This record gives sequence, C-alpha cells and structure tokens, in this order.
Amino acid sequence: MEAYLVAIATITLIYVLLALGLTIQFGLTGLINFGHVGFFAIGAYASALLSLKGVPLPLCFVAAALSPALAAVPIGLVTLRLREDYFAIVTLGFSEVVRVVITNEQWLTSGTQGIPGIPRLFPGLTGLTAQGAVLATIGGVALAAVWMIHRMACSPFGRVIQAIRDNEVAVRALGKDPIGFKLQVLAVGAALAGVAGAFYAHDITYVTPDQFIPLVTFYVWMAVILGGVERVSGAVVGTVILMLFLEGSRFLRDLVPLVHEGGVSEVSMASVRIGLVGLLLIAFVIKRPQGLMGHR
Amino acid sequence: MGPFLQLAANGVSQGLLIGIAALSITLVFGVARFPNAATGDVMTLGAYAGLVAHGETHSLAAAGMVAVAVGAAAGVAAHWLVFRRLAGRSVVSLLVASVGVAFVIRAGLGLVFGQAQAVFQVPLVRAQSWWGIRLTPLDVQISTVAVLALLAVFATLYLTPIGRQMRAVADDRDLARVSGIRVSRVLVALWIIAGGIAGLGGMMLGLKAVVEPEIGWNVLLPAFTAAILGGIGSAPGAVLAGLLLGVVSEVSTPFVGFSYKVAVSFLIMLMVLLVRPRGLFGRIEGAR
Repeated sequence: MEAYLVAIATITLIYVLLALGLTIQFGLTGLINFGHVGFFAIGAYASALLSLKGVPLPLCFVAAALSPALAAVPIGLVTLRLREDYFAIVTLGFSEVVRVVITNEQWLTSGTQGIPGIPRLFPGLTGLTAQGAVLATIGGVALAAVWMIHRMACSPFGRVIQAIRDNEVAVRALGKDPIGFKLQVLAVGAALAGVAGAFYAHDITYVTPDQFIPLVTFYVWMAVILGGVERVSGAVVGTVILMLFLEGSRFLRDLVPLVHEGGVSEVSMASVRIGLVGLLLIAFVIKRPQGLMGHR
Repeated sequence: MGPFLQLAANGVSQGLLIGIAALSITLVFGVARFPNAATGDVMTLGAYAGLVAHGETHSLAAAGMVAVAVGAAAGVAAHWLVFRRLAGRSVVSLLVASVGVAFVIRAGLGLVFGQAQAVFQVPLVRAQSWWGIRLTPLDVQISTVAVLALLAVFATLYLTPIGRQMRAVADDRDLARVSGIRVSRVLVALWIIAGGIAGLGGMMLGLKAVVEPEIGWNVLLPAFTAAILGGIGSAPGAVLAGLLLGVVSEVSTPFVGFSYKVAVSFLIMLMVLLVRPRGLFGRIEGAR
C-alpha cells in the first residue's frame, strides 16, 4: 500500500511539473500551448537514450531540460508573432509530429516497441527507500519550480509577461519586445516539461510513443483550468484533483459492476475517462473560468 | 511521369476531403471566430453514422444523408449547449471548450462502437484506367459527391440570403447586427453547414479506408494547415489549399514515406506561417 501511494505521489509530482510549465506559459503569459506532451516526450526520450549510452544521470537531466527548450525556439520564432490561436494549432501539430518521428525513427527509438530497461534514479537503493528518494528528489525540484515561478511573477520580467497576457499592444507601445519575452517563457515551460519527462522515463523505466498522446496535454490543461490558471497553487491543487480522478476511475471500475451488470471493460473505461475530461473542460470554461483557486 | 500522375490523382481525391474539412474549419473560424478542434471528431461521428445507416439500408446515398444530418445535429448541439454560452469570451475559452466537445464525442463513440476498426460493406470493384491513371469507381463517386457538396456550400454562401448574411457576419458582426441581421439565426445556419459537411467528409474518409476512432482526428492537422494556407475565413482558399495539400502530400510519399504525411503538412504549415501568414486569400489583419 505504501509503495502504491508513493508511486502515485511520484506521478502526481511529475504532472505538477508539467502543470507548472503551463502555468508559466498560459497562466502568466497567455501562450496557448497545445503541444505540451511533445516537450514532455522529447525530455523523456533524451534522458532515456543518453542514460542507456552510459551518460551520468545529472547530465541526462540537463539534456532533458535543454533539448525541448531548443525545440521550442524555432516553433516560437515562427508563430509567436501571430495571433494566439495559431500558436495553439502549431504546437498541437508539433506534438503529433514528435510522436510520428519517435514512432518511425526505429534506429534511435525502436519505434512502437519502445525503450525498456531505463536505469532508475538511485541504483544503490532498493524497494521503498529508492522510491522515497525519487519522490523526495522530484518534490525538491517541484518546490524549486514553485519558488522560481513565484519569484518570476514578482520580478520585472514577470510583470512584463503578465502585461503581455493582458495587453500585448500596450507592452509594445512601452518599448518592450513581446516576442523575446514569449520565447523565453516558452523555453522555460518546455524545459520544465522536459525535466518532468526525464523523471517519468526513469520512474516508469520504459518509454513508448503511446505514452505521449495529445490526451496527456489535455490532462494537464484540465488540471490547470480546474485549479485556476493564474495561480501556482491552482496548478498544484488541479493536478492533485486530476490524479484523484485518474486513479479514482480505476477503482470506480471495480465498483460499477455492482450497479451495472455487464461490467465495464478497460476500453470503455478509457472512453469514460476521455468523456469526463471533456465535460470538465467544458463545464469549467463556462461556469468557473477562474478555476477553483482563482479569485475574481 | 506515370506514377506521379497516379499519385497526383490520388492526391486530388484525398485533397477534396481535406478541403471539405478545411472548409468546415474556416467557416467556423470566419463567422464564430475560433479554431474548432472538434471538427475532426464530428467527422468521426459522421463516419460511424454513415456506417450504421449503410448497414441498415445498404444504400450509400442514404448513408451519406444520415452522415450529413448527424454531423449537422452535432454541430448545432455543440453550438447550443457550449459555444453559444461562450459568446464574447476569449478565443482560448472557445478553443478549450471545442477540445472538450471533441473528447465528449469521442467518448460517446468509444462507448457505443469500441475501439475496433470497421469497414463499409461495399462490393470491391476493379480499378479502371483513365488515360493511364487507375481509379476505382468508388473513388470517382466519392470525388464527385465531394465536388457536389462543395458546390452546394458555395451556392448557399454566395446565392442565398442566409449565405449573404453569413458573409456579412464574418466581415463585421456588429455592423451586421445593426443592419438587421439576426446573428443567432446565422450562427445556427453556420453550424448546420459546418457540421453537415464535416459529417459527410468523415463518412467519405471512412469509405476510402477503414472507420476507426481516430479517423477524424488524423485529418485535423492537414485540415488546419489547409485552412491557414487558404487564408483563415476564405472558403474558396480552404478548398484550393486542401487540394494542393492533398496532391503535395501524395506526391511527396515516395520521398518521405507514408508515415511522414502528417509531418509534411506540419512543415507546410510552418512555411506558410513564416512566409505568408495570411495565406493565399486571407486578409492582412486576420493573422496578426
């Protein structure tokens, strides 16, 4: 039971890192990143491949942060000067292309078979101790990220990006260059997603293209919208609710046959989950756009 | 030369379907002012609706009509239940809500039909050769119906009062309203057209290959690319760009491989945004 709880807590914190990336990008700056899972995937694969080549793990994590940030730059340069919805479409396309590349470049990623046997973070430790150490590490990184975003939001940089979100024309009129700021924000958010990906790869120990479908992006969006887009606490609370919902739906399946005779297959459960994500997205956008933690 | 003509012909028949999807997207973008991410899943809905209707009636014409009707009903329902309530809100709200709508449709289809693939039970007919290009009669039929559907939409847009009103609302919603146009009625008409052609396009996609839960989602990216390439809000642009994209992605297949088609349309999208973000026929203020 403890092992299960620690495992869930680890995954939750990985999603918290993803949600924090989106909080910087969307909550603070207003960038509609619909391709978060693409950056997550690049981080996961970069760290997995390098660690299997024998590169020390800390270096793998650096690569996992840098590679998605670098991938974000050309995307940003092309789209960030355009209307916000173009950015959404292009990032969505980007994440699909990342998945297509991972699926097809078998010499590098072994395609749909995935990469097994990715080393764990603390090879010296075993059992619950190892899991606990991983959890503590991710927790530390997540706390650092929360602190960084808090500092960022209060800094001159943070005031500019929030001004860009509220009125880009005014920011330009004041002599600031919104595109430069947006690019930095995009890269930072992508780097956070990449680090989350590295933690994911070394925690699960195998990666396949199927783990990086667009649905993951919208899980994170659901978490951020649920919690409240502008607040760091919103990302955390939203993610916890998301995980309760994802894990809860697993137990729900065992309960439902009592009510409904036919039982529910794993396939139908996946549909129910997608449907609930959809309904929650719609309901929150219509009824409570500021999210649970928002104030307005 | 021969193989390329063959690929180009395949591209035209694929491009017509991309053009239909792009037309649905660009109409919604032009009039309701948001990129509708639910378009793909409305197409999937049309494919399954057509499949069921064909199983019952064994008539492709009846199946097509059911696909149009179901797609239109889904469009109007999404408008009434979701998008109408978000009038005046930011693009993000509408965009996120459209993703929500897409997921709800996909979940419903998943619960009813499962994840398995299905095919239309149509007799296999040998391909015939037309000036060295081999096409099956089914391909020809699909392309003919696609052209007719496009002509019907254009006739509605340019020859009927509701079409004129729709274009007026797309140009300037406030001006249209003070000129006595009932915007709410125009929006319902918009969703009937956008949903109907998406449903029909989805069924024809399913007819060309297999019906599966991601069939519509997979054309969403090419369709968005075509809508942007044609110029957001430009109906003729969307169709032309769809054709162009279909031909380019088919002809590029020998060079980049079948599985990289999606990447080709993504690269084209980036190039268009880099070089001419307003697309072929778009207005300048549209993109920035």
